[in-house]
Amino acid sequence: MSVAARKVIAQDIRERCTTGIDSLDSVLNGGIPRGNTILITGACGTGKTTLSVEFLIHGALAGENGLFLSVTEAHEKLLANMMPYDFMRKDLLDSGRLTFIDMPVLYHKLGLDKSEFTLEEVELLTDSITKLVGEMGVKRLVLDSVTSVCFQLKSEEKIRDFVLKLGKGLAEKGCTSLLVSEILPSDMRYSTYGVEEAIADGIILMGNYERRGDLLRTLQVVKMRGTSHSRAKYVLDITPLGVLMVPLLKGGGGGGNAS
Amino acid sequence: MGVQDAVTSKLAEVPAGTSLALQVSIPVYLDVIKGIIDNYGARSRVSIIYVTSSIPSRSILSAFEVLEINSDHVSFVDCVTHTMVSAVEKGKNIYLVESPTMLENLMLKVEFLTRKLSGGKVLVLLDSLNSLCIHNSIGIVSEFLHIMVNNLRAKGVPSVILMVQEHGTEEVKNMLNVCDEMMVLDEGTAK
Repeated sequence: MSVAARKVIAQDIRERCTTGIDSLDSVLNGGIPRGNTILITGACGTGKTTLSVEFLIHGALAGENGLFLSVTEAHEKLLANMMPYDFMRKDLLDSGRLTFIDMPVLYHKLGLDKSEFTLEEVELLTDSITKLVGEMGVKRLVLDSVTSVCFQLKSEEKIRDFVLKLGKGLAEKGCTSLLVSEILPSDMRYSTYGVEEAIADGIILMGNYERRGDLLRTLQVVKMRGTSHSRAKYVLDITPLGVLMVPLLKGGGGGGNAS
Repeated sequence: MGVQDAVTSKLAEVPAGTSLALQVSIPVYLDVIKGIIDNYGARSRVSIIYVTSSIPSRSILSAFEVLEINSDHVSFVDCVTHTMVSAVEKGKNIYLVESPTMLENLMLKVEFLTRKLSGGKVLVLLDSLNSLCIHNSIGIVSEFLHIMVNNLRAKGVPSVILMVQEHGTEEVKNMLNVCDEMMVLDEGTAK
């Protein structure tokens, strides 16, 4: 067997963290390699938060503790949006399988109520999140959004430091994490600061695809370390049964306009 | 054998996951629909996912009422109603797709319903291939049909793909080759 073939097999036997979204797991050849830090990126209204929450719920249903760190939206509002899911159970919240923490509360506890963090404060923040993950036995984490956190870091150096240290700390604890990244529809890159996308183990791009006046919600796995995967574009729908995906049809030829 | 009985007995004998192409002439169109919905679906307790790109679901339901066809077991995926200028009235078991050009969303609604109804027997009826071709290129409809039929086949869900003979071109007929079986239903005959 060639070295390249052995490498492919080795990649595909890494333990997987199944997202619970059948078609996405299929695209990823079984799920996200456990411990990976993934950037879920896209413009507003493309389904990033919904997909991330579903990832946590399926984990909790399978007995894995999940933590949602919310920077932009109060968790009560998020919870209200989750309840219409057929598979959501309130006892997951009551039992602590699913925990929602508003980042401003964490900032306040750490004395980080400020507009810009120093390098030491970045370390304090990553250490605190990692410690929390360890104490709570969290196996799945969502940070919504990493863009908002990075906004307070300002420099490329601090952003790199934050994403690297957080990813490393979480991976050591066997925690698979989704970092939600907000970009503009016109952006030609996968993250606002350009740093996050280079450091993340994977990038899942969510967007809108316009075809002859129809606007379709799309998902594309651009990068995923530790597994072979499809790089094709899929169309998705958010339903009470969760996110469903089908391949984007190409028979109509060109003329589509991705954003 | 009458058209209704021919369709009913064919559906009863095909293995799970079979896709059946029906070339139907206009005079027997309603008989065929009655055979699928009433004689087969209602009596065999099979949930029908009725994908309509020809007539709004409300109009089909009105016709069912006149013909005294029970429709409790029918869920509609309707990609016609939204294209009408009048106000959209959404009913129970009606899932609207904005436009017949949004073929992926049509597949997603079928996927949703097959999952939702997975506890019992399900059949997907596509009415019709001709009308989808009014709004889409042959290439994209072929791709859509290929993916949907194979998806349903893999899940063991039977499907019926309907083509109205009088409106069918050679290209549309060729598309039906993706199906496992074919029936031609004319006035008084079933082949």
